Amino acid sequence: MIVSWNWLKQYVRLDMSLEELERRLTMSGLNHEGTEEISGDLAIDLEVTSNRPDCLGYLGVAREIAVLWGHELKTPPANAAEGRPPVGDLLKVRIDCPELCCRYTARVIRGVKVGPSPRWMARRLETVGLTPINNVVDISNYVLMECGQPLHTFDFAKLKGAEIIVRQPRPGEAIEAIDHKTYDLEPGMCIIADAEDAVAIGGVMGGAVTEISDATTDLLIEAAEFDPVSIRNTARRLNLHSDSSYRFERGVDSEAIDWASRRCCELILELAGGELCEGVLDVGPQPSPREPIVLRLAQLPRVLGIDVPAEEVRKILTDLGVSEIRAGAEKIEVVPPGWRRDLTREIDLVEEVGRIHGYDQIPEDVGVPMVSSTRTREDRVLAKVRHVLTASGFDEAMTLSVVDERLSESFSPWTDAEPLRSLTPVLRGADRLRRSLVPSLLAARRTNEALANPEIELFEIAKVYLPQGEKLPAEELMLGITSGREFSAVKGVVEATVAALNPAIKLEAANDDYNLLDPESSCQLKLDGELFAYVGRLRNDGLKQFDLRMPTTVAEVSLSTLVKAAALVPRHVAQPPYPAMTRDLNLVVDEAVRWADVAATVRANCGQYFESLRYCDTYRDPDRLGPDKKSLLMTIVLRWKEGTMTGEEADRIRDQIVAACRRTHGAELR
Amino acid sequence: MKLSEFLAELDELARQAVETMEAAGDADALEALRIRFLGAKSGRLKQVQKGLAGIDRTDKPVAGKRFNEVKKQLEAALQKATQRLLNAETIGEPIRQFDPTVPGDRFRFGHLHPLTQTSEELKDIMGRLGFTVADGPEVEDRWHNFEALNIPPEHPARDPLDNFYLATAAAAAGNSPGDSRLLRSQTSTVQIRVMENTRPPVRIISVGRVYRPDTADATHYPMFQQIEGLLVDRQVTMADLKSVLRLFAISFFEDDVHIRFRPSFFPFTEPSVEVDMSWQGGWIEMGGAGMVDPNVLRAVGYDPEEVTGLAFGLGIERICARRHGISDIREFYKNDVRFLHQF
Repeated sequence: MIVSWNWLKQYVRLDMSLEELERRLTMSGLNHEGTEEISGDLAIDLEVTSNRPDCLGYLGVAREIAVLWGHELKTPPANAAEGRPPVGDLLKVRIDCPELCCRYTARVIRGVKVGPSPRWMARRLETVGLTPINNVVDISNYVLMECGQPLHTFDFAKLKGAEIIVRQPRPGEAIEAIDHKTYDLEPGMCIIADAEDAVAIGGVMGGAVTEISDATTDLLIEAAEFDPVSIRNTARRLNLHSDSSYRFERGVDSEAIDWASRRCCELILELAGGELCEGVLDVGPQPSPREPIVLRLAQLPRVLGIDVPAEEVRKILTDLGVSEIRAGAEKIEVVPPGWRRDLTREIDLVEEVGRIHGYDQIPEDVGVPMVSSTRTREDRVLAKVRHVLTASGFDEAMTLSVVDERLSESFSPWTDAEPLRSLTPVLRGADRLRRSLVPSLLAARRTNEALANPEIELFEIAKVYLPQGEKLPAEELMLGITSGREFSAVKGVVEATVAALNPAIKLEAANDDYNLLDPESSCQLKLDGELFAYVGRLRNDGLKQFDLRMPTTVAEVSLSTLVKAAALVPRHVAQPPYPAMTRDLNLVVDEAVRWADVAATVRANCGQYFESLRYCDTYRDPDRLGPDKKSLLMTIVLRWKEGTMTGEEADRIRDQIVAACRRTHGAELR
Repeated sequence: MKLSEFLAELDELARQAVETMEAAGDADALEALRIRFLGAKSGRLKQVQKGLAGIDRTDKPVAGKRFNEVKKQLEAALQKATQRLLNAETIGEPIRQFDPTVPGDRFRFGHLHPLTQTSEELKDIMGRLGFTVADGPEVEDRWHNFEALNIPPEHPARDPLDNFYLATAAAAAGNSPGDSRLLRSQTSTVQIRVMENTRPPVRIISVGRVYRPDTADATHYPMFQQIEGLLVDRQVTMADLKSVLRLFAISFFEDDVHIRFRPSFFPFTEPSVEVDMSWQGGWIEMGGAGMVDPNVLRAVGYDPEEVTGLAFGLGIERICARRHGISDIREFYKNDVRFLHQF
């Protein structure tokens, strides 16, 4: 809301500096956004929050200043001398849609001279960004700015049938508005019509046919109240916004409608002449009296944390416009003024006292009681995961939770359900809540490739949204990885991450058949039979799909599962003081034999002497080993906790292992 | 063995050893000679020493003395040859100077995202003030995102243009008011969930992604991260709110910081304020705050006559961008590794 200094002076004494005015208004709720000098006047831009529509008019802003400085608010008297005939002789008004328009008032002035507005009015309107048009139209804008009540003036002679009907549009009805665009009207919109046609889009914009022109002599002055939701929907649907619609959306002062109408007439008579018909056509129920509010004075220290003397409380509230019914030592009972629809409860009055008394009075050094807080399990686990990933050379990325169709369809390993979608895209076609982090990370990889960044090692920790029918989706926390490294390197990172959180976790690897990944360089990892993670190299057509040039490996790990399975406080196991014995094994097996099975046999045959088994390599040589054979190279570390092992004992165990592997896996020692 | 033979053998041994050691070309050759002549098990000297046993008793002192002389002579020859080779290594070849300024072998470690770093620090500071982290869903229902936060059905804050409602087939066709679910527009939804499931006192922060329709530009993005604090207990006042925010600010800016409240409006707090913190002679905007609206307390089953609550919210992108001098917040979601590596 832009406020002209010269104009504002009319309603309250401005004997303070501009800076002081800006500062105190900011500190009491009208945030100062900027001030511009326009032709010797100052245009002060104030932010008006949506709960204070009363400040969308000069009187509201002036009242705030009057309260803060203890000055008098000078409200124009709005005395419009009445003449002949009674307005009811000339016009009928009817509301057919009371749910869209609860009140409509009309006055008629005949014999005006339409011409330019006086310079003082034109200048004031220009300072606040309005263009002067003619005296009648300008006055209706002026009064709107003055009190926040929108008004409209019609050329009375152009109204057919001497009737105003407030109704919904007929099917297919349209209107040319004063902006000279034609609007198609729809059900739910409120139309001002004469006996034949729509003459205005109620509360939004007037029609071109009944627009005030230089030839106009007779006027209808409308001051009405429209339903805020209806106005908002109408303005949105027609993409037509005005100073009127803006105020109706936020709610006007039902008790001031007649004042606005009289004020408008007062100015018209003064500046354009004419005769005001007697009386007013006022259709719709009068506003019901406001409910009183009781403010218990003890609530002020209880909520604000400061004491405000009772006398000051009463002065603040009275200056703001409440009517005091009762005042005692412990409580005050007041009726809020019509222009403060936002004041309905005790807590609202507490806020009023607080902001006028000044929040700077609230101390910032009271002792807040100490309580303990704990770091959540999830935070501890994620901190470790981040440590391992950054130590392994991965940078943390953050990508949008919502993706476009292409990314969404490319890969979904955790669910077959169709993704949830937003009604409007979050960003450039992205309207699907993602079911995997990997496509987003591959897109980030592509961004980096396009920038020719040589090393692109990324991870992200974020949620994926797995649909559950009509319920809220299951939001699973995932760790996503994209890398230029080989499959076994990324698998190693995943295994290291899991081991860092719980070395006892046993993952079972299995083949996968994701169409994005190369089946000879990818796998699923399961924990207790459930899918826990997958790792894999992209196939060539996968790379093409994501427009990537360099080989890429991806992985995704269910952190929700890992958080549950983590062992955060390891128990110490005493390190045995006796030396270990190592034995290297080179076992030749058929191609189909799996490392995990051989490893299990090896471990099982070490008895109590097993300390660790390290996989070294898989070696193939069709000439020396045979075409369908491979040799598994490993190192086994043995240690006896109760004494020193001898070389012979180690050999014995090795022989035991070899025999068991021969029996179970057909393995031969090389 | 006769003494003369023994002495002759010793002389021959000494002559050979000295001659060959003097001629040794490199350290390996010299080492081989050392083993040959002075080897502890099967060196020549050792073998000759065995011959001492066969000398007549009367000749033994002479033999032993000569033996020791020869041994010393061999050891000296070895020492001399060793030194000669060492010197040769450093003389006659280009002189190399050790350069300690050559960089060490660096390994590449990864970087945490700057938003994570800021967020963890904020969680840390609030943790020290007794606030425990609470988490909640990003996809919410209307009760938690609106009703419980004192935003009634026809309130403008619910407008479809200002929220990401989810689409069902019916909603997309415009036939129904739409799916009841939406992407949350603030993390206060988490606070509602906590309060629904606990009795007061409550002292939590909720951190996470929120979504609001906004064209992406240097200072706006349709997804961002919030951190919101909530403290509900008996006798909680706005003075507590200011004091908690001051403690937070002092910790964050590592300096003495003052708090300023400017009256504002949020549906879920009453009174509502914008919070400024003093910084380098001026004030910077930090976020919104207020006392929890009694309607919100009632919605979660608390009695506003028994308890009051303070609440505050900060945008993490804005704090992070200001701290590090990042002028375009879209960088946070572009993930250029040259950006990520700066933090």
